[in-house]
Amino acid sequence: MINQRSFAQFLGWGIFVLIVGVVLPLGVRQYQVALLTEIIIFALFAVSYNLLLGYAGLLSFGHAMFFGVGAYTVAIVLNHISGLSFFGAVMISVMVTTVAGFAVGSLLLRHKGVPFALLTLAFNALFYAIATKWHSITGGDDGLSIRLPDINLGFAHLKTGDITVFYYITLLIIGSVILFCWYFTRTAMGQTVLLVRENEERMKFVGYNTNVSRLILFVFTGFLAGLAGSFYTLHYQFTSISAISIDMSTIVVLMVIIGGTGSFIGPILGACVYIYLQDFLSDITDRWPFIMGLIFIFMILYVPRGLSGLIDSFGERLRGRWHLRSSVEMEE
Amino acid sequence: MKKSMLCGLGISVFMVAVVFVSASAQAAETIKIGVCEPLSGTFKDIGERYLEGVEYAVKVINEQGGLLGRKVEVIPIDSELKPDVASRKATKLILKDNVRYFCGGTGSSVGGAMSVLAEKNNALMLSYGMAAASLTGEKCSRNFFRACLNTDTQSYALAMWVANSGYKKVLGIAQDYSFGHEAVEAFMKKVKELNPSIEIVGKLFHKAGEKDFAPYVSQIISSGAEVVWTPNWGNDLTLLIKQGKNLGMKAKIASYFLNDEYLIESVADDSAIIGNVTAEAYMLTIPGEENRKFIEGFYKDKGYYPSWLRGKAYTATMFWAEALKKAGKDDTNAVIKAWEGLTYEGPAGTWYMRPCDHQAQIPVWVAIMVKDSEFYKHAFVGKPTMIPAKDIEITCEETGCKMK
Repeated sequence: MINQRSFAQFLGWGIFVLIVGVVLPLGVRQYQVALLTEIIIFALFAVSYNLLLGYAGLLSFGHAMFFGVGAYTVAIVLNHISGLSFFGAVMISVMVTTVAGFAVGSLLLRHKGVPFALLTLAFNALFYAIATKWHSITGGDDGLSIRLPDINLGFAHLKTGDITVFYYITLLIIGSVILFCWYFTRTAMGQTVLLVRENEERMKFVGYNTNVSRLILFVFTGFLAGLAGSFYTLHYQFTSISAISIDMSTIVVLMVIIGGTGSFIGPILGACVYIYLQDFLSDITDRWPFIMGLIFIFMILYVPRGLSGLIDSFGERLRGRWHLRSSVEMEE
Repeated sequence: MKKSMLCGLGISVFMVAVVFVSASAQAAETIKIGVCEPLSGTFKDIGERYLEGVEYAVKVINEQGGLLGRKVEVIPIDSELKPDVASRKATKLILKDNVRYFCGGTGSSVGGAMSVLAEKNNALMLSYGMAAASLTGEKCSRNFFRACLNTDTQSYALAMWVANSGYKKVLGIAQDYSFGHEAVEAFMKKVKELNPSIEIVGKLFHKAGEKDFAPYVSQIISSGAEVVWTPNWGNDLTLLIKQGKNLGMKAKIASYFLNDEYLIESVADDSAIIGNVTAEAYMLTIPGEENRKFIEGFYKDKGYYPSWLRGKAYTATMFWAEALKKAGKDDTNAVIKAWEGLTYEGPAGTWYMRPCDHQAQIPVWVAIMVKDSEFYKHAFVGKPTMIPAKDIEITCEETGCKMK
């Protein structure tokens, strides 16, 4: 539930993100701004995945299907509806993804654990096959390129092709949605999801329809991944089967595992580290996925709580020392 | 609260580190060209051969004093054959190192993404191998140039050969996906146009990566086809030739991709190769002083011949260098303007860059595979005949290109 303390935290984080986000692009090279934009987009994708994995305990191997549906829808509507605005395309895209989420979710809601994971994988493969085979609509292997429409707010004309302008649009929209996700985890609905994970029988016993809770969450995460996907296309002005491939589903699992599933911040941290490492390592070697794999194994074996867990335990250790010191001082 | 503050601190420190640690300034002293090729994975071998061609061209350019008094530098980009990967890496080079020129030969999907990226950043993308006709057709861009054949012109050249060869029964076999279907349709249409008396005795489609061609070969034999046209590549072409020979297939094979010593070596049976026909923009056997000098120079430098992909990449890179020389300055707009309408005399004949769609008009060399070759111990392409660019030209109106 949202109490005053949580609201203060919410506000604090909001202001923090805003300041860091607004200040960061000033004085850095354009390439770093493009990289930051990518990090924000993938942060939302990872957050949406963590709502499934970390909060609801549902391991999905097919989250890229929603990311891909979002990415493709934005490209298809911008190519086929002339004069469609930037926000119009994004709106249609998230609506289509939500419907896709509902359709897939309705079929999956009775499953958990391994059957759920395998079914998501199968659905992802289905969506991937559609993207590859339906050449006339999706462009098949060639992918789809788009012409990015500018945003006309009446009082201001925003050139979305400008890297910095696009960064701020992404920060504003995706940043707000990420904050809303944080808020969602604190709402009654968000807490219900946690309780379903912890003890579903008990929840059923007290009268909750847990299938409905799971479906709502599934559709919501699909919506979020679709939004991330549509910004991915808008950012690159291009989409291809990579966006809807099993590789993309693996990437988001990696991000969330590296960042840690135990906290809201974990996946955001995971997205930062993944994108930056990928950028850094692919400069050094063409075998960068191998190094990523090693990092993944290391994280699973030695840092199962991910980077956010590492920061937490480091913080706790610091606090422990501080407490120890203050109690020694008091004794003296 | 403290916990979240610590997390927040962690993130902010990390993000600041991301931004500042990797920021590095580089002076733009050389003219850089980014080569987008798959340099890892299944198609590594194709990408590396293209890259060698570009590297050798740049070596020759630099030995002659560079371009506009500056050295040229090759920056290999491993596209992993994924358009998003190529796009991300190229964006980095544009924004960080101010790279303005890119080239690539593998994957029309990568070509499409690079074309969009080049237009967005006012860079220039040159393709010496991405063959999808749409790249200079409905998807054409003023920042994208193609200095090689495309699926339409290459199919057209082989269709001309078949139409004039005297054979009467033709069969098409291809991988069952869009490229296979489109290539077969385009070829059959052209053959019928050029010689209506030719009978199309079948169109067969098999899955990409087929291991057992026996059912298809028996259909080919029973159809009575004299020529088998195939856009197959890689193992699907090797196995079709190998298994076809073993099962007694007598029909000649007409293919884009026979001009490849790697393929011939993997078939490992010269009698299955000899007599087949291929068409390409560059072959080792092209006559003329320019080609002889190029082959000699390359062989001296590397110890092997600049066959197929290497030759294509070399010639296209030299064509780009000519455009830069003509422009007189390292400016994308000036180079685009200079390249439009430019003629280049290279190892593969006279190439002309058509301004309306940036598709180079180049002659096609058609050759029959023969037993003896001055280059290799195995069978290889024989002396080719040239089909002038004019004869296989597809007009700008037909391509559907509307240059902005």
